Amino acid sequence: MTAEATVLLIVLPLFGAFLLPTIGRINASAAHWSGALLLALLPLLAIELWNLHSAGALPPLALGGYLAPLGIVLYPDRLSLTLVLALTLGSLLLWPRLHQNDATGRQATLMLLLVAGGNGLALAGDLFNAFVFYELVAVTSYALAAKLGSGDGYAAALRFLILSALGSALGLLGIALIYTLTGTLNFAHLAQHAAAFNSPLGITAFVLMVLGFGVKAELFPVNSWVPEVYGATSHRIAGLLAGIVSKLALLLLLRLITLLYSDVEVAGWLLFTLGLLGLISGELAAWRATDLRHTLAYSSIGQLGVMVMALSLPGESGMVALLALALHHLVVKPGLFLFSDGWHGTSLAGAARRGPWGGVLFLLFALSLIGVPPLPGFWAKLLFIREALAAGGPWLLAIAIILTATVLETAYLFRFLRRAYSRHGSAGYGAIGPDAALRASAFGATLVVGLLLLNPLTELLQQTAAEIIDTPSYIARVLDVPVEVTP
Amino acid sequence: MLNLETLLTTGNLLYAGATTLILIGIAGMVLQRHLLRILLALTLVEAGVNLFLIAAGFRPNAAAPIAVAGQFPASMVDPIPQALVLTAIVIGVGVLALALALALQLQRHYGTLDMAAIAARLHAAPGRGSSSGLPVEPSHSGKESAS
Repeated sequence: MTAEATVLLIVLPLFGAFLLPTIGRINASAAHWSGALLLALLPLLAIELWNLHSAGALPPLALGGYLAPLGIVLYPDRLSLTLVLALTLGSLLLWPRLHQNDATGRQATLMLLLVAGGNGLALAGDLFNAFVFYELVAVTSYALAAKLGSGDGYAAALRFLILSALGSALGLLGIALIYTLTGTLNFAHLAQHAAAFNSPLGITAFVLMVLGFGVKAELFPVNSWVPEVYGATSHRIAGLLAGIVSKLALLLLLRLITLLYSDVEVAGWLLFTLGLLGLISGELAAWRATDLRHTLAYSSIGQLGVMVMALSLPGESGMVALLALALHHLVVKPGLFLFSDGWHGTSLAGAARRGPWGGVLFLLFALSLIGVPPLPGFWAKLLFIREALAAGGPWLLAIAIILTATVLETAYLFRFLRRAYSRHGSAGYGAIGPDAALRASAFGATLVVGLLLLNPLTELLQQTAAEIIDTPSYIARVLDVPVEVTP
Repeated sequence: MLNLETLLTTGNLLYAGATTLILIGIAGMVLQRHLLRILLALTLVEAGVNLFLIAAGFRPNAAAPIAVAGQFPASMVDPIPQALVLTAIVIGVGVLALALALALQLQRHYGTLDMAAIAARLHAAPGRGSSSGLPVEPSHSGKESAS
């Protein structure tokens, strides 16, 4: 395998997405399973590329042979490959079921498009391609969120679309401002001109991009779509959007803050403030919500708030904390969302008695989310709190609020567990279905594997974090020695 | 002292026009209730942003960025923003088409396109806990056995 295979991470799912509707017309189940098979190839490819990268044999890819900063560059590094791996494995676990009234494989096609866009966003080496791929992810997520045949689903998706499209327009305005400042959009080239961003115009651009692209990251003032969409769409899609798509937007913000705005103090404090407000509002709303779906929706606003705060943590160990929080949330949130159909409303009471395995899984996810040792969630929170303590100042306030939020998390998650184990439930009615239980088991297994491999995983995270903050080597790798691909 | 001559250049007028369009659009998105008007306002915002990008590539007295054999103009406008805007326009059209398709479904399900009414219906969905005064704990057995 050569470095050129990087491009397959985007091309293969795109190719599959365009082919599926045609295959679906001939045989629906063939389309459905071939899509899943294609998707299953991508994590293997990502692992191969990771090994190549570790051996130092995976340079940035200049598409069409045009070198950076003029050409389009794909930048595969540990961070982008981690995201690719998470996105492909996650969407494989959340792959739609074969449905009677979805004969042409609409959902499967959209999932492949989402993966193509997400991989592109993770690998993009310049701001404009990141924007284009972000839009691809956005458009597919509107379509996925619009649950067929449900009025509320359409309404929620449309309101999501309007907010997100406005956000994208503002983000594009921020990109335009950056272009007027520097005349380039290549990340590495921009990083060389980072001094230009410490100006009123540069900071305005940052605010616009954070608000614009923060919509998907459930950032504080632009997250009103979250409870609506997660309340109306299917539990799979809610898990996908909350767990995985939000991390893609977070990755874009991470690239901005590490490559462009690492020296602009205001940028860090803006993220800190918005993250803190998101944490407070999300956790309080989650505590007030009464059904599992909305509780999980609001609580993911709170947890993403912590991650947005962590974006501004200084240094390598701050990045390790951010990565740990993000990867943990990426596994636990979809797992929890899978319960939201079965453990819903009146069928909640006694659900864990009728489906004991579901109860065990929910307990595992809930304990890890709260951060009970020795589960991975505890280590992620511990890393964050340790780094925040070291940073001092307003971070101490953040620690106090996070610890309070942990109490709230315990309160609202155990409210559901207590109800699920209650003896008052109507007998033989409602539990999570075998499909959801299987998927949730897979996420639970991932969590347990993460716990068993905690030490090697931490080492990998440290390597990744060291790479993220090493801007000089990012610049050197892109602008000096990219490989050429002959068209 | 501000000089009107230097302030009123074509470039500045373009920026001012683009910013005005964006502001009008945002105001429309916030103030209007009817979905089609909101989408129209969204289109205005996108047009404003696109104009802004074009303005970023503007050079006074420059030729179009097309290479013609034998002609060497003194300066050309920056072609990159134009390429970006083309992409942005295409994305905008796609998003708008999807929005209109959703609007059609919305009209079928609700019989209205008044977004304020639709939002009120969405927010009345049970479980959000936003309409009640205090955090509500679902009551024991009573409610379940009744339903």
